[in-house]
Amino acid sequence: MHVRLIAAIATGVLATLGTAAAPSADRATSSDGAADRLAHDLYRELIEINTTDSVGNVSTASAALAQRFLAAGFPAADVMVLGPNERKKNLVVRLHGAGKHKPVLLIGHLDVVEARREDWSTDPFKLVEKDGYFYGRGALDMKAGDAIMATALLRMKQEGYRPSRDIVLALTADEEGGCCNGVEWLLRNHRELIDAEFVLNHDGLVGYSITSAHGVPQEFALSATEKMYADYQLTVTNKGGHSSLPRPDNAIYQLSQGLINIARYAFPVELNDVTRGYFERMAAARGGQTAADMRAITRTPPDAAAVDRLSREPELNSLMRTTCVATRLAGGHANNALPQRAQAMVNCRIVPGHSKEEVRQELMRVLNDPDITVHYVADDGAVTDRAPEQRALPPSPLLPQVVKPLESTVAAVWPGLPVVPFMNASATDGIYTRGAGLPTYGVAGIAVDADDMHAHGRDERVRVAAFYAGNQFFYRYLRAVTAH
Amino acid sequence: MGARHLRLTATLPAALIACAAAGSSLPCKASSVSAAERGSAAGDAAADALAHDIFKQLIEINTTNSVGNVTTAATAMAQRFLAAGFAPADVVIAGPEERKKNLVVRLHGAGRHKPVLLIGHLDVVEARREDWSTDPFELIEKDGYFYGRGSADMKDGDAIMATALLRMKQEGYRPSRDIVLALTADEEGGCCNGPQWLLSHRRDLIDAEFVLNHDGASVISEHGVPQIFRLAATQKIYADYQLTVTNAGGHSSLPRPDNAIYQLAAGLLRVGHYQFPFELNTVTRAYFERMAAISTGDTAADMRAVARATPDPQAMARLAHEPSYGSLMRTTCVATRLDGGHANNALPQRAEAVVNCRILPGHSPEEVRGDLIRIIDDPQVAVHFIADNGEISDTAPERRGFPPPPLMPEVVKPLERVVAATWPGIPVIPVMIAGASDAVHTSAAGLPTYGVSGIAVDRDDVRMHGRDERVRVASFYTGNRFFYRYLKALTAH
Repeated sequence: MHVRLIAAIATGVLATLGTAAAPSADRATSSDGAADRLAHDLYRELIEINTTDSVGNVSTASAALAQRFLAAGFPAADVMVLGPNERKKNLVVRLHGAGKHKPVLLIGHLDVVEARREDWSTDPFKLVEKDGYFYGRGALDMKAGDAIMATALLRMKQEGYRPSRDIVLALTADEEGGCCNGVEWLLRNHRELIDAEFVLNHDGLVGYSITSAHGVPQEFALSATEKMYADYQLTVTNKGGHSSLPRPDNAIYQLSQGLINIARYAFPVELNDVTRGYFERMAAARGGQTAADMRAITRTPPDAAAVDRLSREPELNSLMRTTCVATRLAGGHANNALPQRAQAMVNCRIVPGHSKEEVRQELMRVLNDPDITVHYVADDGAVTDRAPEQRALPPSPLLPQVVKPLESTVAAVWPGLPVVPFMNASATDGIYTRGAGLPTYGVAGIAVDADDMHAHGRDERVRVAAFYAGNQFFYRYLRAVTAH
Repeated sequence: MGARHLRLTATLPAALIACAAAGSSLPCKASSVSAAERGSAAGDAAADALAHDIFKQLIEINTTNSVGNVTTAATAMAQRFLAAGFAPADVVIAGPEERKKNLVVRLHGAGRHKPVLLIGHLDVVEARREDWSTDPFELIEKDGYFYGRGSADMKDGDAIMATALLRMKQEGYRPSRDIVLALTADEEGGCCNGPQWLLSHRRDLIDAEFVLNHDGASVISEHGVPQIFRLAATQKIYADYQLTVTNAGGHSSLPRPDNAIYQLAAGLLRVGHYQFPFELNTVTRAYFERMAAISTGDTAADMRAVARATPDPQAMARLAHEPSYGSLMRTTCVATRLDGGHANNALPQRAEAVVNCRILPGHSPEEVRGDLIRIIDDPQVAVHFIADNGEISDTAPERRGFPPPPLMPEVVKPLERVVAATWPGIPVIPVMIAGASDAVHTSAAGLPTYGVSGIAVDRDDVRMHGRDERVRVASFYTGNRFFYRYLKALTAH
């Protein structure tokens, strides 16, 4: 396995061994091999413990990893398994440093999305290596990251490495489903255990930091902010009647017109430090019209034609503005009766700085029909007249102690790969740590092809080479972050 | 019973009483109804008593699709006809399903014309005791109404038609043509054991020159005062279509340019904005002409303007604001149901709507499916046909509703006379109904079919299919006498 593995790792990794940017690397080759074996073992162990919300057990996974840390010589006081729900306990591990700065907190969730054997080509709760990929539920989201972070701490301990600051690892519950037993609970009840100067979140949406094309990395995304998730329910009611006598007003047509208005509406382009940085750096990395357009939209005011062209790319569009999209429809009660009610669900992803209530008001303005009511739907399904007024937090400042080591490590591992600040369009646990005032950055290092995102779907997978490259990268980055 | 009869006569229209009181040998001043078309006072009273007995008997036999038995009702009626002296060969119980047999009875006439066929369905809509104020399977007389499941739809009509034939038999009346009565199954629910089955398997039993369908109240009243007599002379065809858009879907944080819900919404808006072509037939043209005569002001002028050979588009637009007029001028299609998406945070992979159409005679469901595809103008919106049993198919039936023939004088003239005698001053207005009665089947078989009953219903008291279904006691007896007289007038020559 080791031989195949080394051959499969991006040549960049091998090239970095012994360079100035990489940590003291003389003994790295053999240690790298051992670390890859360890990461693989942890990865398999985690995938084979079912941690779904329905029937799984996160505590089992936490306890299994705790055993590994204790066996590696971590004192019992630094290996905590805790949480309010028997099935959903979190693991918090601390590697003590020199105390030159406040700690760095690493977060990862242990729970996974549901998976049914009959939907999958392989058993989702077995780690299967096939055709250059690892398959399994959580292979990407995010037991790969959990294994990689745990491996980094175990390796450092074994090497007797003393970081400049404490490194705290929290592996948690309830990111994918369920509520409130994970990061949120730790922040509220045991802040002292996980308090930090900043947070590194190994979870992400686009490419787990690295988007690749046919396995070739294109860019390294540093997720420094995320959009806020909100659902709205649109409702039109009508007296109805017999369908043989259609009335001039019809709930379905009124709703349809409203939905068309939403479809045609684009929220204003609104860049922040993160997304502006993203477009500037991506422009430098790309050529042609796209590069020119990226530059054009960072000007004030942004160039309208450039906005139009870039908006056609869903990923780029999502970085430029709040998006709202209809996701569900329901209406009517009988084929031969005029509808008395028609409803739609509209899902919004709100850029930092705006509130859910503000977007509700904007939807009402766009719908332009007082007969269409717009209610807010909370995560637990409760429907209310108004939405929360709380604004999504502005992006975390790009701290030099986070960014500089990242740039040097990325340059060493993947020479020439640009590091671009990024706004995550989907929600992660980063929303809680940012909400608690901890600057949070999504940093992973696992390359995923843009057209091969199987997270949450069937046959979730990660390239074998990308997993090991990500393992090598993260260890090096964590050393670089804690070198001084 | 005597008490009921007294109360009844007190509420009957004055003209009818005047005729009845004048006796059978004197001309009736209030109308031009001939002696032959009148019944004797004693005969009327006996016929009312008989109609009430049959009505009660039928209501108390549960004929729902779920647990009822139409055969029991057909057999009970057959017993009455046999007891009245009808030959066994003229009292036929027929049908493919043990629980849903039909009754066909023939009263022989002089054979001067092809027969007239009377149709009525014996089955009723479901009714749950707990939803009703009274037991739906008991005939309850209360506050001037008869209550019970089928009291208006249409065991009242079944009883009235059976009574007319029994009375004629008893009186030794010989009609100019055979009168055939078919009391049938599967109009309200179930499939295909009623008129459809008789037409395809026993056409000989029920073949006729034209058909009278007693389903539906012809007399529209307000607070019990009759306003117009609706002669249902043609009907629209009912058709449901399913519109479907599919999409690859994806994560809702990254909306794609194409979206199944938006595509469907755009298609539905085009359907909502579209008006099928204006098209009158002999029935709807006559409707507007006659309604114009009894309407006033702009409405009357607009009705005349749309009934002309070159109809006025502005008059059309004004009239169409009233849905009941608009539906007579054109095929209508309207969205009635919506469904789409599978999770709040996922782009929809599928969006669907049901569009319900009421199609003018002369057009087929497949033709309208083609129209919808053209109107929606988006090849990604699939348009399928939904059959009555819920089956979905790529194409719809090609069968066209028959355009109505000119109103037959042998049907209309006697009707106008008897209506004038029964409810002086109220006009007979030909109408096109929205469909969904057994007339669809007889019309499709090439038999001109007219909806005629003497039952009155208040505009705002339509409880058919609902709870506490009811008919006015006075209306039931008036309808009983009317129908006997009309049938005699119809078969006089």
